[in-house]
Amino acid sequence: MPPLIEVKNLSKYFKVPAGVLHAVDNVSFAIEKGQTLGVVGESGCGKSTLGRTIIRLQESTAGHILLDGEDITHVTGKKLKEVRNKVQIVFQDPYSSLNPRLRIDDTIREPLRNSGKYSRSQLNERASALMDLVGIDVRLRQSYPHELDGGRRQRVGIARALAVDPEFIVCDEPVSSLDVSIQAQVLNLLMDLQEKMGVTYMFVTHDLSVVRHISNTICVMYLGEVVEMCPSKELFTNSLHPYTKALLSAIPSLDINQPMQPIPLKGELTSPINPKPGCRFFPRCPYAKGGCQEPQKLEEVSAKHYVACCRAHEIN
Amino acid sequence: MKNGKSAFLSVRDLTVVYTARKKIVHAVNGVSFDMQKGETLGLVGETGAGKTTIAKSILRILPNPPAKVLGGEILLEGKDLMTVPEKDMLKIRGEKVAMIFQDPMTALNPLMTIGDQIIEGLQLHNDFNDAEAAQKAKELLEMVGIHAARFNEYPFEFSGGMKQRVVIAMALACEPELLLADEPTTALDVTIQAQVLDLIAKLKVKYNASMILITHNLGVVAQTCDRVAVIYAGKIIEYGSKKDVFVDNAHPYTHGLFASLPSFSKDSPRLKAIAGSMPDPTNLPQGCAFHPRCPYAIEKCRISEIPLTEIAPGHFCRCCNIQQKG
Repeated sequence: MPPLIEVKNLSKYFKVPAGVLHAVDNVSFAIEKGQTLGVVGESGCGKSTLGRTIIRLQESTAGHILLDGEDITHVTGKKLKEVRNKVQIVFQDPYSSLNPRLRIDDTIREPLRNSGKYSRSQLNERASALMDLVGIDVRLRQSYPHELDGGRRQRVGIARALAVDPEFIVCDEPVSSLDVSIQAQVLNLLMDLQEKMGVTYMFVTHDLSVVRHISNTICVMYLGEVVEMCPSKELFTNSLHPYTKALLSAIPSLDINQPMQPIPLKGELTSPINPKPGCRFFPRCPYAKGGCQEPQKLEEVSAKHYVACCRAHEIN
Repeated sequence: MKNGKSAFLSVRDLTVVYTARKKIVHAVNGVSFDMQKGETLGLVGETGAGKTTIAKSILRILPNPPAKVLGGEILLEGKDLMTVPEKDMLKIRGEKVAMIFQDPMTALNPLMTIGDQIIEGLQLHNDFNDAEAAQKAKELLEMVGIHAARFNEYPFEFSGGMKQRVVIAMALACEPELLLADEPTTALDVTIQAQVLDLIAKLKVKYNASMILITHNLGVVAQTCDRVAVIYAGKIIEYGSKKDVFVDNAHPYTHGLFASLPSFSKDSPRLKAIAGSMPDPTNLPQGCAFHPRCPYAIEKCRISEIPLTEIAPGHFCRCCNIQQKG
């Protein structure tokens, strides 16, 4: 059986006045059915663009996207509508991603109506079932988004994404605007839904503790490129890329007896516009050397552990 | 915490409300704490808990209306800032007490060069001529790791992390004795956050300043603070040393907050979320504001006001049913 989602050499460039912005560059991976791929990286690394490109909210510049083995990179019309019933997205900001003029139950009915599969009575039944599923109180179903807090709004966003029974959902920072106690409720909900319905997730976030919790595999991005990809636990015990190491070392630990010792990085993110060939992390890397200016390849160094660093063997 | 007089900063029974469309938002409901010179106090809590309102009350920069301070004292070295005339308050702001604002993208004036923005504060509080002020501003920029050559650039030419450093340079320009840092790193990526936290820690030592760090990130608190106050619905519900709050926490809310964090070391598929959500601040529940979400709530919690009591030396908790917690 082919993986549910397969991405091959996917790139997305934007033309900007200063040149060509390489938002996503030559990214490849596969996600098996019912699994979760976590995508982490700092702001501007292209993780959200990657998610949006995969579900065809944006057209890719190069590469291929396969859903259930079928190439959906350029499908249009009726075929694209079919794809939309299979792939959905939960957006980052539950404040701006809901239509302020639609009541909660209308927001959830909209994709059901668009799918054209339901009669009116079925539609109401299905909408109620969805709201039960994600835990929206009966008394709130006629409310407008502004009457709900962030956690409840995000539940509406999740119910809307689930409405058409998708096989694949891109979760784009679904909990980063929520407080921790509410964040835990939403993460639990997403994991319960996966268990019940076997849905596959791509989980985009900058929060490494969240991604470890929810993902089977984690992919680390830096300036549009994947620099490391491996099973979730391994990333935290045996990270190989210098950027991943620096990222992990910078997380302030909750253990008051364990002082943070961040690996110092020089400067800040360099520009993704007209990038030079070679490692994009090179200008900030503590291990940079001559060979780093050559293009780096993502190589499998041990089982299912990929890293794009020519000095990975030396420094580990 | 209740010994008032000798403290560097002593906040007593601070109560602040906002009026919004004929409703009264109870933002801060009788907050008291003391701080010593050089100490860092972490104010922790969720959105809407009243953390920022507390900091802004200290500086007296709450917009009135809608905000109104109903009562309380803010004693800075024994002097009540609530009763100081506005003219003197202008001297205190920036010179003795300075604030680092949450969002570096909006805290800077987009139409002024960063150099001019730093100079503005410097000249307000010191008798510097233009050349002296410019010299000092350049030194401040270098100190926060920005090349002095960028003195004449505008905020849009800087990244988020650099803007936050400019904001820090502005706050430190007059060497304040008390620094109010409102979520100084929340808008930043972790690697930049690490740089900024390191910078703040070094500068705090250099000037022997006290700091109130407002954040919802418990990891940041663990790495920077001496004491911690946990705020819920405008009240301190737990207060103590970092160890008291992180290791020996007693309040069910504090406990729930730590339990709901995904951890790097634990492997449990489900997180222990706190049920429900924050109470509506225009209609706070009677008794303990946390009781509708609390698994240990008893009849007393629903009826009576729960006092903050000292449960171990220096460790305070606002809960009448601590023993019930396993």
